Amino acid sequence: MNFEHILAHHLVDHKTSHKVVATVAGLPVDLGFSPLIRTMWIACAVAVVSLTFAARSQSSLARVLRSMFEPVALFVRDEILEPIFGHHAGHYLPYFLTLFFFLLTCNLLGLVPHMSGVTANPWVTAGMAICTFGLIQYAGVKEQGLGSYIVHIVPGGVPLVLWPLLFVIEVFGMFAKCISLCIRLFANMLAGHVVSLAFLCMIFIFAEMSKAIGAGMIVPSVGMALFIYTMDVLVSFLQAYIFTFLTALFVGGAVHPH
Amino acid sequence: MGDLLKPDLGLTVWTIVTFLCLVGILKAFAWGPLLKSVEDREARLKADREGAEKARSEAERIQKELEAQLAGVQAKSKVLLEAALRDGEALRAKLKAEAEADAAAIKAKTTLELAAEKDKLVGDLRKEVVNLSVLAAEKLLRKSVDAGVQKSVLDGFFKDLDSTKKAGSN
Repeated sequence: MNFEHILAHHLVDHKTSHKVVATVAGLPVDLGFSPLIRTMWIACAVAVVSLTFAARSQSSLARVLRSMFEPVALFVRDEILEPIFGHHAGHYLPYFLTLFFFLLTCNLLGLVPHMSGVTANPWVTAGMAICTFGLIQYAGVKEQGLGSYIVHIVPGGVPLVLWPLLFVIEVFGMFAKCISLCIRLFANMLAGHVVSLAFLCMIFIFAEMSKAIGAGMIVPSVGMALFIYTMDVLVSFLQAYIFTFLTALFVGGAVHPH
Repeated sequence: MGDLLKPDLGLTVWTIVTFLCLVGILKAFAWGPLLKSVEDREARLKADREGAEKARSEAERIQKELEAQLAGVQAKSKVLLEAALRDGEALRAKLKAEAEADAAAIKAKTTLELAAEKDKLVGDLRKEVVNLSVLAAEKLLRKSVDAGVQKSVLDGFFKDLDSTKKAGSN
């Protein structure tokens, strides 16, 4: 049994159609459909339907949903955005609320059978990190103006001689922050899937040695896989919060350079 | 696992497009009404809290005013009570003095009246004695003056005198 093949089968996205629209640095931009894109769209549909229903309907079910979503929205506004953005929080609130709920829905849908782990793919989290990078530039230019934003990329009080060097370092730091966001989310979400599969594969690995030992491994392996699965639910909330919080922190740094 | 890290720019583009569309859709359909209801509720709570604080400060102001008024009323009532006590004491002394004067006047008048009545009674008694004496003398002169007659005259005189006294004492 090849554990790597099993992991690749469950975690790697397989295109069901191909449509290359461009080539960037020799890499094709294939906009073909895949199970991962399907899961992402299902996550979007779930988020749009549930949030719109909760926000607009007056039914008792909508009230229940609203009472679940409102504390999260207030938490994002009062605990994450307002300490960082102050009275600008309202302007960025829809973006961050969407970011949190999109990541949370994708994380949780990745735990549902027959769905793909959207956020366990580095090219999805890279897309989210690019959005964060774009928001940092947009917020910095919008709040400070283009010239002031570029000047304030380097902290004040730096000797003029060191300014170009620090400018390069700070720009690299900006990219590094976004890359760290990308890798953190991808690695955390992937780890749960890998560990769960590893526990389940232990049954078959031991069964190849002896069928009795393999049978004896069923209960502990499934139990541990379920434990990791439960932890993944917690990690889904935690990683959505961390990505949202760090994005707010990085954008806040561009808005308030001092 | 190498396939997992194989660049898939199409997936990245789909992610960015999907996420930005989701931002626009949720901003238009979900966050607006949801945040508006939250802000309305917060504004209502803020207004209620401010109203409650205003009512509380108003109640405290009214309580202070009432306490001040109560203190004023108590001081005023104390002054009035002291004045009433003083007036009552003065009136009592005045009435007592008047009553004593009236009693003294009535006593003096009664004494005078009693003395006048006594004098009048004494005068009446004297007149009666004189009349009886005259009557006795007249009877004595009309009859013979023997011892038996004299005795019967005198007895008759004293008998009349007794009856006169009894009549006077009654």
